[in-house]
Amino acid sequence: MVNIRELAVEKERLAPGHRMCPGCGLAIASRMILKATKDPVVVANATGCLEVSTTIYPFTAWRIPWIHNAFENAGATISGVESAFRALKKKGKISSDKEIKFLAFGGDGGTYDIGLQSLSGALERGHDFVYVCVDNEGYMNCLSLDSLIQTEEGLKKITDLRVGEKVYAFDQKTGNLVLKRCTGIFDNGIKEVFEVSTDHHSIKATSNHPFLVVQRNGKQTRSSLAWKKLENLKQGDEVVTLKRIAKGKSYTFKKIIASKKGDYKVNKINPVTLPKRTSPELMEFFGLFVGDGWVREEKTEVGFALPEKKEGRNRLIQTFRKAFGQDITSFDKLYVYIYSVNLSRFITSLGFGKGAKSKTLPSWVFTLPEDEKEAFVRGLMLSDGYKLGESNRYVSASPELLRTLRLLLQTMNYRVGKIHIQTKKKGTFVVYRKLLEDSSYGYIAFSRKKKPDMKRYLSQIKQRDYLADNQWFSTEKITSIKLVKKEPTLDLRVEGEHNFIADGIVVHNTGIQRSSSTPFGAWTNTSQVGSAHQGKEQFRKDLTAIIAGHHIPYVAQASIHNYVDLLKKAEKAFNVKGPAFINVICPCIPGWKISSNQTVQVAKLAVDTCFWPLFEIENDVWTLNFDPGENKKPMTEWLKLQGRFKHLFRPENQDRLEKIQKHIDERWEWLKKQCGK
Amino acid sequence: MVQKTKQARTGAECSAEAMRQINPDVVAAYPITPQTPIMHAFSQYVADGKVDTEFITVESEHSAMSACVGSSAAGARTMTATSANGLALMWEVVYIAASTRLPIVMNVVNRALSGPINIHCDHSDSMGCRDTGWIQLYSENGEEAYENTLMAVRIAEDPNVLLPVMVCQDGFITSHSVETVELIDDESARGFVGEYHPKDALLDTDKPVTYGPLDLFDYYFEHKMQQIDAMEHAKDAIRKVFDEFGQLTGKKYDFFEGYLLEDAERVIVCANSSAGTTKVVVDELRAKGEKVGLLKPRVFRPFLAEQVVEKLKHAKSVAILDRAASFGGHGGPFFNEFRSAFHEEKEKPAIINYIYGLGGRELDLAQLRAIFEELKAVASGDVGHNVRYSGVRE
Ligand SMILES: Cc1ncc(C[n+]2csc(CCOP(=O)(O)OP(=O)(O)O)c2C)c(N)n1
Ligand code: SF4
Ligand SMILES: [Mg+2]
Repeated sequence: MVNIRELAVEKERLAPGHRMCPGCGLAIASRMILKATKDPVVVANATGCLEVSTTIYPFTAWRIPWIHNAFENAGATISGVESAFRALKKKGKISSDKEIKFLAFGGDGGTYDIGLQSLSGALERGHDFVYVCVDNEGYMNCLSLDSLIQTEEGLKKITDLRVGEKVYAFDQKTGNLVLKRCTGIFDNGIKEVFEVSTDHHSIKATSNHPFLVVQRNGKQTRSSLAWKKLENLKQGDEVVTLKRIAKGKSYTFKKIIASKKGDYKVNKINPVTLPKRTSPELMEFFGLFVGDGWVREEKTEVGFALPEKKEGRNRLIQTFRKAFGQDITSFDKLYVYIYSVNLSRFITSLGFGKGAKSKTLPSWVFTLPEDEKEAFVRGLMLSDGYKLGESNRYVSASPELLRTLRLLLQTMNYRVGKIHIQTKKKGTFVVYRKLLEDSSYGYIAFSRKKKPDMKRYLSQIKQRDYLADNQWFSTEKITSIKLVKKEPTLDLRVEGEHNFIADGIVVHNTGIQRSSSTPFGAWTNTSQVGSAHQGKEQFRKDLTAIIAGHHIPYVAQASIHNYVDLLKKAEKAFNVKGPAFINVICPCIPGWKISSNQTVQVAKLAVDTCFWPLFEIENDVWTLNFDPGENKKPMTEWLKLQGRFKHLFRPENQDRLEKIQKHIDERWEWLKKQCGK
Repeated sequence: MVQKTKQARTGAECSAEAMRQINPDVVAAYPITPQTPIMHAFSQYVADGKVDTEFITVESEHSAMSACVGSSAAGARTMTATSANGLALMWEVVYIAASTRLPIVMNVVNRALSGPINIHCDHSDSMGCRDTGWIQLYSENGEEAYENTLMAVRIAEDPNVLLPVMVCQDGFITSHSVETVELIDDESARGFVGEYHPKDALLDTDKPVTYGPLDLFDYYFEHKMQQIDAMEHAKDAIRKVFDEFGQLTGKKYDFFEGYLLEDAERVIVCANSSAGTTKVVVDELRAKGEKVGLLKPRVFRPFLAEQVVEKLKHAKSVAILDRAASFGGHGGPFFNEFRSAFHEEKEKPAIINYIYGLGGRELDLAQLRAIFEELKAVASGDVGHNVRYSGVRE
């Protein structure tokens, strides 16, 4: 059997860079299963989240042959592929010793519901393939895209925003920055999208999107703010822009699972005391990391390209000592290395990205207090920045980093220029490093906003910036309005006023509807909660047992939290001759209303409560793979973690909770009997 | 007295709102973008007890239409909604519903058919259904989708018709855009729609009937003739329902609706949201003194050929816009139908075809201006290629 260590170094067949949500169970399941065979694999994928988020022409995350035909026919599709393989072998067009594994992925919708006929037919016909149902208990089918909104919890993609979350808005009466509840997110249809630019900001919006502008009225005193639709804006109009966001607070890190000696073979654990929350020193250290650092988790290495005698190297050593209470011991002329299992894990978990081109700023950075943000910018400047008179320039190969950094700087009372992209030839020096290949680099320039003498010159200053005396906002003249393109757009509704702070507009396509795998009581968009109904009213069907009724050589049920069991099952499935089927529980972040770090915990509890027992059926012999015995947990422990079951905990729904427990107990007893226990 | 209110609604919400007022006995549906918001909203109405519909959340569209057939035959007022692949999967049963003469009403939110998969608007889905025996109504905006849905129930259930009706609106462009729409109050809407009195319901056990028997060469053709006649009767029924509903709303509805058409020399014909875009360009060119106009089909099945001729015959040149291709055919489905309406006429405009907007490719004002411009040469006898494409890269 393949061991975990071998797996970690093997090249992924499903490349990173897909658009599945962070923490998605499907991503874990599909990658693990693809690792269970060394033979070439051809995949057929039913329509659904996995398919939608791994391809979009002209991109694909698949490094192996892969076909998507339609939603309801993955079984039939893979059976065609497999038959062709046998036919071509028979005719000698493919060598007779060639091995290929055929694998179909379907969601629960594509498997339990619409594609069941197609799968059943393929099983009955006896094709040699493995069918994996990635069961997230609903039609999730999400397509996440990339517009950023300023929220209470930092910068968020518009598609990750939920109704009820708080977003920053402008209070027109008081001129204050306020947090407002988002009361709706809706599709705005395919619209012409314009880009409105000022010297320091740009925002994309549709022609009917309202902007807050200054209405000059001869005498300064009679000027006021008014809403104007984009279509009525013109060059020179003064729009309200965000200067800075509210005072932040230090960020408390999520716990990472720390390694201990003996966990697996690593030469040096090299324990480092990980800080609990952010501090200026730590943020300066991260600034240096984002500029010049890398992590190689498999080597437990955190490295920095900071040559000797650079100011950056000194600060690195100092800030590391302050933040981690330890000295750095390993350097050479050009590089600094820190070897620590837990440090490399910790840094990876923070979301700064790994390589130079994929670096970015995670949303929590936006919520930090001013001094920590300043320290972070200082660290960045020490790595890839330089000064040009009053102005700072920051250079990076990551467009995403530049985009997010620009937004961060805008919230810190800096004047920020546009992002400039330039291509440099191999051999040129960028900041102080020689380029090894032709590269595309971008930079942004920024400088402190000068503090004018408000008392004396208020009315003149207000001629330039109507909100000059406002702590949070300023006004800037529109320099251009350009039609960018036509695209599907999204919009937010915010309580009170139609105003929120965003940098763009995007496409979306979300689902979350019930399937016959959705558990009893769960909320979905087609099993709503209201006065007459309380979520789904039917129990889920036992697909694994239904498949077992086809008497194929191998049938199993598995969970993403138990890698070893999942891998073993996938290996067995690939190795049998004839059809094999695995049903894998894959928690879904938005569909189950859980947070992205709860995937594994929720999957494990599904098994510990016997909601999702682990078992396998080899040539009609049923075996239970895990029996919690006395430790069987009550269903409420699993249900209460998930927002989709929230309503079940209202007093009037007590009977529903009891009904669920009773049902699960009965199914569990049935299964044990089936497995000869 | 009817009360009208203006509200900001998406097209999908308009359809859902009509469904709420109709309060059908049974709805069987399966999710597919961009139809989903209709079903999401309707599901909430079910959960809140605002309708007492049996909402069957089937496992596929094939089953959705199959369940609708059963329910409608059983005597229930039945509705559903779908798009693109969903409609394609129903195909088999879409024919069966019409041939069994079941007055089912289905909202179709137009979306391009797969290969490769695409979620945006074109009319390949409903155009492919034009020969299925369903009545087809097209909606320029959310308000029309709302009105058409209410009227569809009456048209379908007319005892001289008994045919299913498809109400089409453009995916995303209409279904997901918020616009101000005028809706009528619940009581007036319900009064207009009325009670459904099914004939020959399966559930009427005192009067047993057989649905869907084997029907071979000796009768099948006659049954098809009855379907053909029913479509003929639908023309009167539609006219009657249009007039009656018009008395409630104070508007005029017609099979083909003209916009500044009477004296127009150059005319564009197009359906659904594109008609709204075309009106903008018509206004613009009219302001410059150009004699241009629009003809918008609201009813495509049954096709009222004589009205097409009457409304277009004075024009010099006409461009028929098709948001669907007919591969290997001579032009798109609208083009063929509209152009052949003129075959016997002595006096007729020069008619050309534009295929546009496939897979959600936008139709913008500049394209429409260019089409009106090209119609000048066509009007003066230089027809050139009569099947053209607008908005595609070379
Ligand atoms: C015939 C047909 N009907 C409906 C759809 C729309 N659709 C695409 S994916 C999907 C749901 C997918 O659910 P599931 O199989 O559970 O996969 P998940 O996205 O949850 O992983 C739906 C309803 C379609 N593409 N084709
Ligand atoms: S978490 Fe859910 S919605 Fe997100 S990619 Fe995974 S299955 Fe899709
Ligand atoms: Mg699913």
